[in-house]
Amino acid sequence: MRAVPSAGDSAVDQPSALRPRRERRSLRRRIVGWLESRIPLSDTWTLTQRNIYILPTKAGWAFCGMLLVMLIGSINYQLNLGYLLTFLLFACAGVSMNMTHATLKGLTLRLRPVHAVFAGEAAQLEVVMTSPNTRRHGIGISFYDIRRFGWRQGFTDVPAHGNASARLAMVLERRGRHRVPSVTIETRFPLGLFRAWTVWRPALQVIAWPRPETPPAPLPASQSNAGEGHHQRRSEGGEFDGVRAWREGDTLRQVVWKKVARTGALISRDSSAAISRELWLDWQAARLTGAGPEERLSRLTAWILAAERQGQPWGLRLPGHNLAPALGDAHRMAALDHLALMP
Amino acid sequence: MTPAGHSGVPVRAADGWPRWPGWKNLPREARDTLFQLGVIGWTVLPHLLRLPLWCAAMVLFTLGWRALLAVGNAPLPSRWTIISVLGLAVALTAWSEGTLLGKDAGVTMLVVLMSLKMLELRARRDALVVFFLGFFLVLTHFLYSQSLAMMLVTLGSVWGLLTALVLAHMPVGRPPLAQAGRVALRAALWAMPLVAVLFVLFPRMAPLWGVPQDAGGRTGLSGSLRLGGVATLAADETIVMRVRFEKEQAPAQDALYFRGPVLGHFDGREWTRLPNAFARMGQPKPDLQRKGPALSYELTIEPSRTDLLPLLEMTPQAATLELWQDGLNSRLRDDMQWQLNGPITDRLRLQATAWTQVRYGPTVFGQDLESWLQLPRGFNPRTLAWAAALRADDPVLAKGDAHTLAAAVMRHIGQTGFTYTLEPGTYGSQAVDEFWLDRKQGFCEHYAAAFVVIMRSWDVPARIVTGFQGTDAEAVEGWWAVRNSNAHAWAEYWQPGEGWVRADPTAAVAPERVRRGLQLQKPRSLVAQAMDSVHPKLLEQFRASLERFDNRWNQWVLNYSRGQQFKLLSELGFDSPSWTDLSTVLIAVLSAGAAAAAGWAVWDRQRQDPWARLQMRVQRRLAQLGVQVGPHDAPQTRAQRVRQVLGPSAELLALCLDELDRARYGTHGTSRVNRQWWPAFRKAAATMKPRAASAA
Repeated sequence: MRAVPSAGDSAVDQPSALRPRRERRSLRRRIVGWLESRIPLSDTWTLTQRNIYILPTKAGWAFCGMLLVMLIGSINYQLNLGYLLTFLLFACAGVSMNMTHATLKGLTLRLRPVHAVFAGEAAQLEVVMTSPNTRRHGIGISFYDIRRFGWRQGFTDVPAHGNASARLAMVLERRGRHRVPSVTIETRFPLGLFRAWTVWRPALQVIAWPRPETPPAPLPASQSNAGEGHHQRRSEGGEFDGVRAWREGDTLRQVVWKKVARTGALISRDSSAAISRELWLDWQAARLTGAGPEERLSRLTAWILAAERQGQPWGLRLPGHNLAPALGDAHRMAALDHLALMP
Repeated sequence: MTPAGHSGVPVRAADGWPRWPGWKNLPREARDTLFQLGVIGWTVLPHLLRLPLWCAAMVLFTLGWRALLAVGNAPLPSRWTIISVLGLAVALTAWSEGTLLGKDAGVTMLVVLMSLKMLELRARRDALVVFFLGFFLVLTHFLYSQSLAMMLVTLGSVWGLLTALVLAHMPVGRPPLAQAGRVALRAALWAMPLVAVLFVLFPRMAPLWGVPQDAGGRTGLSGSLRLGGVATLAADETIVMRVRFEKEQAPAQDALYFRGPVLGHFDGREWTRLPNAFARMGQPKPDLQRKGPALSYELTIEPSRTDLLPLLEMTPQAATLELWQDGLNSRLRDDMQWQLNGPITDRLRLQATAWTQVRYGPTVFGQDLESWLQLPRGFNPRTLAWAAALRADDPVLAKGDAHTLAAAVMRHIGQTGFTYTLEPGTYGSQAVDEFWLDRKQGFCEHYAAAFVVIMRSWDVPARIVTGFQGTDAEAVEGWWAVRNSNAHAWAEYWQPGEGWVRADPTAAVAPERVRRGLQLQKPRSLVAQAMDSVHPKLLEQFRASLERFDNRWNQWVLNYSRGQQFKLLSELGFDSPSWTDLSTVLIAVLSAGAAAAAGWAVWDRQRQDPWARLQMRVQRRLAQLGVQVGPHDAPQTRAQRVRQVLGPSAELLALCLDELDRARYGTHGTSRVNRQWWPAFRKAAATMKPRAASAA
């Protein structure tokens, strides 16, 4: 499953770009967008009679036509069993409408928390469906996108009194904070004559970090330890002589060989204490390429990744905000979030 | 096991045939396809028995081929292959049916199309087309038979098709067939009340446009007669009408001749009615002289969809008692046959008086009798020569009148080894020659036709009369049933001074057919013979109860018509029921049903899942005690909160919650809420309350 980004994927703080060159399409999308915007944002979505829609499918209309032909045939040939068959199929279609509706009714949807991703990479959404009572068959899930209604959808069954989850992938083209696009849950079970669906606007938001530059530019030169950052960290009361378990990325020089000999486990000096030189990733330095702000953010992102790979503590200088040099996932994610949300 | 068995490569044995992996190991797609093929095979089966041989062979081959492809996971044939096969099928249909239009050709094409479509199942849409064609095919069965057995066969088809449809909409995993079958069955059972309401109340109407000519396949009377076309006369036990005689004066069976079309024109192959027989219509014939006692009777005619009214010989007057059909009129033809201006589509009840002994027809030979002497040239020369020789050799016959001649023919039939059989085999173009001189095997039509040809060759005006003869041996509540198997053909010849005289040549060869109104039984099957030897009564009882059930089936389902609908309405209190009343009642019933459903939906919306309700009550109660928990927290989480907030004094409460958690999510956890839990929990909470209040 992979959804192509649509207007729903655009950043919350940016108005969706409506192209004037296709007037009708644009109008239709505007109406659809307006209808969609009337649905409240929510974290969980319980399907009731109020938010389940149901209409006949094409097959349903064809079935209807067939019933009409069968009725006329029964009248013209005066076949009482023909009447019986026609009425049986008609009533079955009616019952199936109810069953299609009941397949969705009572389900509760929620989203698992989503990790931030780089722009251009697929973010995995995991929708969890819970059935309070019976087993539900053939639940299709997709993004609500009028152009691709019913396309690219996966199917799942929801077990009785249990959960089922389905993954949806979305590609966020632009950095920033994005609302998760609306999700459609639909079913045609049991006879395929009716399609019941609901549209859910999850309140959840996903952050897309800037796309890292490719190929990455070389890291800027490290600066002396006596810099501002060092001072700042000292005032924070950071550890100077701490040790910790070895982790990937630690250089051999960081390993405390004495302790290794004693304990048998690899022990590193805490990098913040061990490294005397610090790396500053600077907004101003990134400008040197002469490119626009987005490219600069891309370069900074690539630098952050490179610095993390090298295990070298790094700090980030942005206009109006500085991050002290450090290493680790939390540091990296905080920095990337900052880059993503740069105005 | 070959290595291929572990990969996705289709498994094939050395000789190229796909290997059967066992039903359980079949991939889902193959299993579903095989199931569909089975359902379609079952649906087509009743047709295969009556379709041309090539069609049956083609369908069986196609379905078998498709099954092999499914098991071997092989690619489907190309579209051009299918189109060329379809073209072949169209050509063969045109060749064997003589046309591409009409009932038989249409059914042939539908069956072929359906089996070919199975070779082309590429998308879900194709599968739906097959299922819809299948439903339509089920309807076509009823054109040929509406018996109880056919109903059961088609019920199986409908269930199978619905199951396949459900299966197509269960896209996940490999759902068991039984599960899909149960869903289909549930849908059908829920549908039953609506089916019953619609069947009873949906207004029955006359055909929207002209009744198709091929619709009358049910009755034995068709207004024409062709010798040799039918190899086997199917014994159709459908009831055509029921007759009741006044004062229970049922005449003898051999006097019960119900007169249908009179056939006078013979073109060598087919006997048809004379074109202009409507001389004076609607009036009692002036040349009819009634003799003997009058016989009053009442007749209930089932909707036969034919336009003739078979009344007892001779009935000069009749009055309808119940007539539900608009614009239906009857008139008496010149040849004493009652004719309707349209097909009978509804039950008809009428009262009539008949005279079984009459003198009828001109007494003097006139011009109007000449048309009853017509014989086509070049047909049946050997019979004509035989007749001429017979008369020339016998001086009595040479001078004899029509009575003498007819008696001579009857004698010949009775003495020279003729056999009455329902399975005479087919006859060629010289059918009468073949029958009369070579094979001497036939049923009533053969005898009547031969008799008329011979009489005409002696210049005696003669004609074939078709109709019904005899009734059931036993009356049911005074009503005698006349069935399609009572269809009969006899003859009339003209005797100067007396008029038309009935002669039934069949009586000469099979007197019991006429005397008891019984057709010859077909040879009994092996099973029936075996059952007879074990327990002779058993089979008889079984047959009797089956027939009783079949009777009810005919009465309540097959012949349910506007008459019964109106009767139902008048029982409901409508004074003069009409079409609009019927629609009003139908709409009222449907609206009431819809309102009930809507009411249920409103009630259901307010209804809450018992578990969710319990969770909410617990949450509220805990909040009163000062413990705030989330609406979706599991009981265990809540127990932890209780321990945190209220401390060890609330251990009982926490244990209650733990127990609830185990009951729901433990190894034997169920969704059913134990009714005793909530009172226990409330009691535990009640002991807490003062302390919680004091803590607050």
